[in-house]
Amino acid sequence: MSYRVDFTLKHDLKKFGIHDWNECFHCGNCTAICPMTKTGSLFPRKDIRLLQMGLKDKLATNLDPWLCYYCGECTETCPRDANPGELMMSLRRYLTSVYDWTGLSKKFYTSHFWEFGFIFFFFCAVIASFLIWLPLSGNTAELINDQGGVMINNLVAGISGASFVNIIEIGDWTMAILVAGLLISNILHMFYRVVIRDKEVKVPVYAYITEFWSLIWQFMTQSKFSKCEGKTYWVGHLLLMTGYSIMFAVIVVLLPEFQIEEVRPWYNWQRLMGYYATFGILFFLVYVTISRIRKSDWKSKFSHPTDWLFIVMLGLTTITGILVHIFRIGGMVSATYYMYVIHLAVLVPMILVEVPFSKWSHLAYRPFAIYFDRLKEYSRKSQNENKLVRAA
Amino acid sequence: MEEIRIGVYVCWCGTNIAKMVDVEAVAKAMREIPGVIVAKDYKYMCSDPGQELIIQDIKEHNLNRVVVSACSPRIHELTFRKALENAGLNPYMFEMANIREHDSWVHTDRAEATQKAKALVAGAINRVRWHESLDKRSVEINPATLIIGGGIAGISAALEIADAGKQVYLVEKQSQLGGTVAKLDLLFPHLDSAQQLIQPKINRAMNHLSIQCFLNAEIREVFGYIGNFEAKVYQKDDLETEIQFGNVIVATGLKPFDPSKIDQLNYKRLPNVITSLELEEKLLSGNLVMDNGKDPKHIALIHCIGSRNKNHHEYCSRTCCNTALKYSNQIRSAFPDAAIYEIYSDIRSFGKGCEELYTHTARQDVMFLMYDQKGEVPKITEARHSEKVNMMLEFREQLSGEHVEVPADLVVLMVAMEAHENAKEIAHAVGVSMCGNSFYIEKHPKLDPVATTTGGVYVVGSCQSPKDIPDSVSQARAAAARIMADINFGSVEVEVTTAVVNEDICCGCQTCISVCPYTAIHFDAEKNVSVVNEILCKGCGTCGSACPTGAIRSRHFTDKQILSQIEGLMSMQLQH
Amino acid sequence: MEFEPTIVAFLCNWCSYTGADLAGTSRMKYASNIRVIRVMCSGRVEPTFVLKAFREGADGVLICGCHPGDCHYHEGNYKCLRRYHLLQNYIEQMGMDKRRLHLDWISASEGKQFAELVDKMTQTIKELGPCQVKHSVETLT
Repeated sequence: MSYRVDFTLKHDLKKFGIHDWNECFHCGNCTAICPMTKTGSLFPRKDIRLLQMGLKDKLATNLDPWLCYYCGECTETCPRDANPGELMMSLRRYLTSVYDWTGLSKKFYTSHFWEFGFIFFFFCAVIASFLIWLPLSGNTAELINDQGGVMINNLVAGISGASFVNIIEIGDWTMAILVAGLLISNILHMFYRVVIRDKEVKVPVYAYITEFWSLIWQFMTQSKFSKCEGKTYWVGHLLLMTGYSIMFAVIVVLLPEFQIEEVRPWYNWQRLMGYYATFGILFFLVYVTISRIRKSDWKSKFSHPTDWLFIVMLGLTTITGILVHIFRIGGMVSATYYMYVIHLAVLVPMILVEVPFSKWSHLAYRPFAIYFDRLKEYSRKSQNENKLVRAA
Repeated sequence: MEEIRIGVYVCWCGTNIAKMVDVEAVAKAMREIPGVIVAKDYKYMCSDPGQELIIQDIKEHNLNRVVVSACSPRIHELTFRKALENAGLNPYMFEMANIREHDSWVHTDRAEATQKAKALVAGAINRVRWHESLDKRSVEINPATLIIGGGIAGISAALEIADAGKQVYLVEKQSQLGGTVAKLDLLFPHLDSAQQLIQPKINRAMNHLSIQCFLNAEIREVFGYIGNFEAKVYQKDDLETEIQFGNVIVATGLKPFDPSKIDQLNYKRLPNVITSLELEEKLLSGNLVMDNGKDPKHIALIHCIGSRNKNHHEYCSRTCCNTALKYSNQIRSAFPDAAIYEIYSDIRSFGKGCEELYTHTARQDVMFLMYDQKGEVPKITEARHSEKVNMMLEFREQLSGEHVEVPADLVVLMVAMEAHENAKEIAHAVGVSMCGNSFYIEKHPKLDPVATTTGGVYVVGSCQSPKDIPDSVSQARAAAARIMADINFGSVEVEVTTAVVNEDICCGCQTCISVCPYTAIHFDAEKNVSVVNEILCKGCGTCGSACPTGAIRSRHFTDKQILSQIEGLMSMQLQH
Repeated sequence: MEFEPTIVAFLCNWCSYTGADLAGTSRMKYASNIRVIRVMCSGRVEPTFVLKAFREGADGVLICGCHPGDCHYHEGNYKCLRRYHLLQNYIEQMGMDKRRLHLDWISASEGKQFAELVDKMTQTIKELGPCQVKHSVETLT
């Protein structure tokens, strides 16, 4: 089977953050230095080659970029300053747009108008939906509970606390299902492109089950990531990932237990979970912001606009969340209300843009890529064994 | 007859010889041989102290023969002959035994190698006994020079010699001077104009008072020897000119490889598959279009066509990589949006400014695709009608390991440089040898790169091996300098190891005359003997081995010397 | 103890001797049974030289010249070739195996071929066993 070279792909990829694809002359230094390279694989050199040649179809079946955690060693030691790490990063952005069947991802990556327009639209939509209920109902003193905190669910006039939580919960679930639906369909699309369409691969059915543990294990521990240099980054990333997942679970599944009127003591599980998640997210945010500003390591040297957008949106969401918490405990009714609205107005577009279409999507693609990669490897191994058996 | 006093010197060559040969044992064994006065071993015989050792011994022990057993006589025979001369001995009273290239470097058993060394040295000792003094001879030099080939190399050499006021005969096969360079548009690495470079030179050569140009001309045979050659120049209309000259420069250049020999390139069958020289024509005319007059959108350059492949030429043609890079730049400036593919097998952009050219080209948005030139070249086929391009190239891309298709409107084949079909005729006419690829062989690849084993004949430019312009011009001027030095000196030393006839024994059978390749022997009817013209004789010795009476002696390779050497060799044979 | 033959080789200066030098500079390994004599051209090799070598105890004689068409002296190697066929007949009539005399072409670039040729020839002579010429001559006189 032969693949058509495509002269234009490199130019298309510029918008995904690729600066220079000419420098690499395939010495293989990156492959030699990379802690993720498996025996016999040409990772990441081959991916650079596919990019240089514009082999679109081959790239689409290729999982390598997801196996890279961007430790930057290849870039640091590259004798041609070809920056393989950043090329892999850009390929991840490109692949995200390839897997996304809606085409929105490509729009967000390549057009500021689309990305900011989308965010702005949902920001306004959330604020508008709350503006309907303004102003606050009568006496603000009624909204202070026994512990002196703001009764957050009764802020809106004419809606009982229980109904309010219900409305928010329905909103959360809608968003979660929408996002999950998009992600799952994109992963199925990814599965189709990388496993089904790859004619060289035939995966036995039982392998899907036997290899499934790798998906879970990777998602929970990111153990592959720890193979790369820089333990702080791994710890930070793990904190972020767990913090984010907990927060996600809390606001979607456990909302009735989380968004409650009484202020529980600080050691209550509900508050501890929130604090852990906040700490995890903040820690990582501060860490990456500093390194991206200082450009202290290779992976922070080149920031695509979407990288900054991600940091800013997540930062705003976290800070507004913290402020809601503080204002509420401090019994500041109006401040709590407005901050809560702003918090949701930032959170919603962030989730809608980042999770299915942009940087956040890697939380799904990466573990599945590892899973699919293991499937493919399994198939290759069993095919080789079959060949050997037949030869014997 | 004087007493024979031989000095024997066994070289260690550092560890090169001493590691595999017990040099002390060899020297010791040689002392037992009659006539050997001294036998020594020393670390580096060719070094100044080593030579000084020989000179001192010659004086001190009154030696009249010297044997050095060391490396190949092709390397240091002249060094030691000079040393003998410095000590007041005739340089031919010397013999060398090769115990490095023929012994220590090729064997693995120290005892066997030592035994062999003893035999070789004993042979040399036995031979040197019969050596005789030979006197140097010199001949006068005719200051005119014949240059065959009027390309950039021939013209450069001609102008160099003519500017010094010496006569040059410049013989060109074509109807105009300039050779390959005159067919080029721009030159790598700086993309300057070839025409601006060559045309003034052509004009100067054509109008130079000391250069006589013969166009549409050829040389079929050259007679004579260094300093005194003669030949006829044949031109159209049976015009013949006789010329005499003292030196010859062969600068016949090269021709492009014919890619129709490679079937799957479909050259000649697909109109938009062209060779690099055909592209130069298009570039020179300023009309870089396809056969239908439209601009090409996808242009592929395929490297190494006919080069570096056992089926065609195993050598690298040296200029095609840089030329292809040059094309990429030219095409890029003509078509800023075109897709350019360099389908190469290794980029060899050596030379001043050339790696820079590669780096620059790589940034011109050129796609470099690697193929395996040892396997199959890309297959070029007509594209399907549904495609927007003319042709499709298929091959296995080496760096990705994938089979790829490359769309192309225009394909340029970077064809190899090869020797002319008539290279052999010229070689025979002037007496130079050819390598397996029909390029002329220089005297020494490193130390004597423009001279040949025939005195007074020089090879320059691409007839010696594929070359770019700077290398060709350097060689041309180097040969010119060599010739000017000889002309300036006025005479040149010639081979003394010629044949000589002992008229007392010669029976006048004339067998020698029939075997001599140089017509160097003629028959003196009056005396009824053969006579050797020692100027023409090159000392091959064929007459000597054919002579039924032993009347002809090959000086320095006499029967006596060689037979004695055999005895010496066998006196130290292995015990069995 | 295994029979170790002695082989005398006549190599022309321009091609074969240079080829043998190349085998040396390339550090190729070959049997040490060979003893080289340099002549300017294979055309210089007289029948006397070959017979002398056998007379002095050589078990084999090897002559190497330039490839046909490449002779430095144009055609010395052809003359050698003609003489070689006659000489082979001659030594056969003397009661020797004609394989003891061998002619081959070695160019200046064929160091490897030279090394292989020497090994092959040594093997052949080993199989033929010692040459009896020297012994016979000494017994007769």
